[in-house]
Amino acid sequence: MSEDLQSNHTASPPIISVRNLTVGYGDEIVLRDVSFDVLQGEVLAILGRSGCGKSTLFKAMVGLIEPIQGEVYIDGEKVLPVLEGASEKILRKVGVLFQSGALFSSMTLAENVAFPIRLFTKLAERIVERLVMLKLAEVGLTGKERLLPSELSGGMQKRAALARAMALDPKILFFDEPSAGLDPVTSAEIDQTILRINATLGTTVVIVTHELHSILTVADRVIMLDKDEKNIIAAGSPWELKENARDQRVVDFFNRSPADDRGPVR
Amino acid sequence: MSEKEEHLDAPAAAQSSGEPVIRSADDSAKGYTVHAEDWHFDEVRVYVSGTVSMDNAEHVRRDLVRAVTAQPMKNVLIDLSKVEYFDSSGAAILLDIFRVTDELHTSLRLVNVPERIRSLRDFADLDRHIESGILQPRPEPNLLIQIGEGMLQLHRNTVDILTFIGAAVEALIHDVARPGKLKWDRLWKLVDKAGSDAVPIVTLLSFLMGCILAFQAAVQLRKFGANIFVADLVSVSICLEMGPLLTALIVAGRSGAAYAAQIGTMQVTEEVDALRVMGIDPIRYLVSPRILAVALALPCLTLIADLAGILGGCLVAAFSLDITPVGYFNQVHKVLEFTDVMKGLIKSFVFGIEIAMIGCLRGFQVRGGAESVGAATTSAVVTSIFILTVTDAVFAVLFYYGPSF
Repeated sequence: MSEDLQSNHTASPPIISVRNLTVGYGDEIVLRDVSFDVLQGEVLAILGRSGCGKSTLFKAMVGLIEPIQGEVYIDGEKVLPVLEGASEKILRKVGVLFQSGALFSSMTLAENVAFPIRLFTKLAERIVERLVMLKLAEVGLTGKERLLPSELSGGMQKRAALARAMALDPKILFFDEPSAGLDPVTSAEIDQTILRINATLGTTVVIVTHELHSILTVADRVIMLDKDEKNIIAAGSPWELKENARDQRVVDFFNRSPADDRGPVR
Repeated sequence: MSEKEEHLDAPAAAQSSGEPVIRSADDSAKGYTVHAEDWHFDEVRVYVSGTVSMDNAEHVRRDLVRAVTAQPMKNVLIDLSKVEYFDSSGAAILLDIFRVTDELHTSLRLVNVPERIRSLRDFADLDRHIESGILQPRPEPNLLIQIGEGMLQLHRNTVDILTFIGAAVEALIHDVARPGKLKWDRLWKLVDKAGSDAVPIVTLLSFLMGCILAFQAAVQLRKFGANIFVADLVSVSICLEMGPLLTALIVAGRSGAAYAAQIGTMQVTEEVDALRVMGIDPIRYLVSPRILAVALALPCLTLIADLAGILGGCLVAAFSLDITPVGYFNQVHKVLEFTDVMKGLIKSFVFGIEIAMIGCLRGFQVRGGAESVGAATTSAVVTSIFILTVTDAVFAVLFYYGPSF
């Protein structure tokens, strides 16, 4: 079920294309023969219940794990496992916000944000400093530049990690569970930031999540994975799926109803 | 559009406006042009066009600074209408140019700002509000403050350590008083890890230490024809000092470090708090079995080390001093007293308690993340080595002046 999943409202070539991807760990196959495209400038959410392989798919897309079969192309270039010579061109195009933020705990916020800038560009220190200021201001962390990640709350850490992911103005931003462990206000702020980046910079956004509210707020299109099918079971705009889906698994997901009929827990 | 206060007092007569001044219109290969022309008697207009990205931002900045400082008396207007691509580095440069015009006491205005950097407007005077040097390490506070903070730190540390020792001793007494309630299978697992798993490395190192001692002694003793005393030297020094200390150092490096890392990580991932909310005292659950385990395992390991060391000495004696193994062991039997071995074992029992306590204490002191765990592990080993050596010295004095067995 690959070609029919591509939405056809733009003519520009897809920025990411996933072709017949099979991924897993050792002998255990998590996803089999998955294909889909991500279009330039869209916000795509990858959904599914826990254990359906969302994070595995995300890791394969950014080159953190090697697919068993199939390929991922970013801007027409094949994604290789990061340590086996992924091209600098691809690395610069992609920013990743990990679930836990993954800030380097030995560095201050400013140093965390400056890290990829220093790594990939030859900008002078004073420009790097201005850039870091801008990026931290964009996520509302002005004045916290010299703090260590451990001195911040979870929400602030997430925002700082977002600033780091955006440091090089990537064409594509990946978010792994952006609202995990955050209060509703903070996660709404993250959603707004995602939308703003998407609107002003035209950044393509891929979000891995199961947070219904934020899916409906930010996503242009969703694809839903299933554990048993090991593949995509639904694709389309989130509202459309919410209103018109026939597949029981999709309906359950959007209605937040328990999968098996055990009745209410007493 | 961001605009700073106008400084119209700049004397304009000096620069009469004339033909457009082209500052730098080269580098189409680099994808941008910066082009400046006089506009008014008091204003210079700078046109930026093309691509401004992280790859050429440095050049754009240089050209812009040149254009702005060329006529230091004039206000500056930067026109961005012909810009095709402009990323955050462009915004960063503009922030920098704001600072330059500020220093010249002229004003800077931006016109035709592309949609995607409109938000720059909000950040335009960011620069003035933030102290610069955010990427430099924090400045060192003055000496008095440092001393004060050091003292506070010392105080907190001391309280921490004393509290911990108190809690650990209480938990130990609790456990030893009621051995029936002890989880023996957990304890044996810990003894297994701290003890049995260390046997190969302890045996090997101690055997080699015995060989080295015998060899070095042989070189000296041979001069006096006192070959047989190699057995005295090796057996006494191994049993009294080298055996217990060497084994303790190995266990401090293995188990002490492991405890610090393990408990430290548990602290970071809130596992320790999980124990607390279940009503389990983490000191009793985590620390006291570990202390017991190492205190039991270390004397056993020391005994093995003693044997291996003496054997090592025997090997060297046989090959380089022509002393038969029988002669060697006869001499060992004559000179080595039971109390010597016992002294070594008593020491290693105390060493065991210290190693486990220090490891666990450093683990509990972890705050924050990965780096703190690393620091705790390092500190566990270093503190152990220091405390072990000090204790060894104390024991040496005690055994000398104290009542003999």
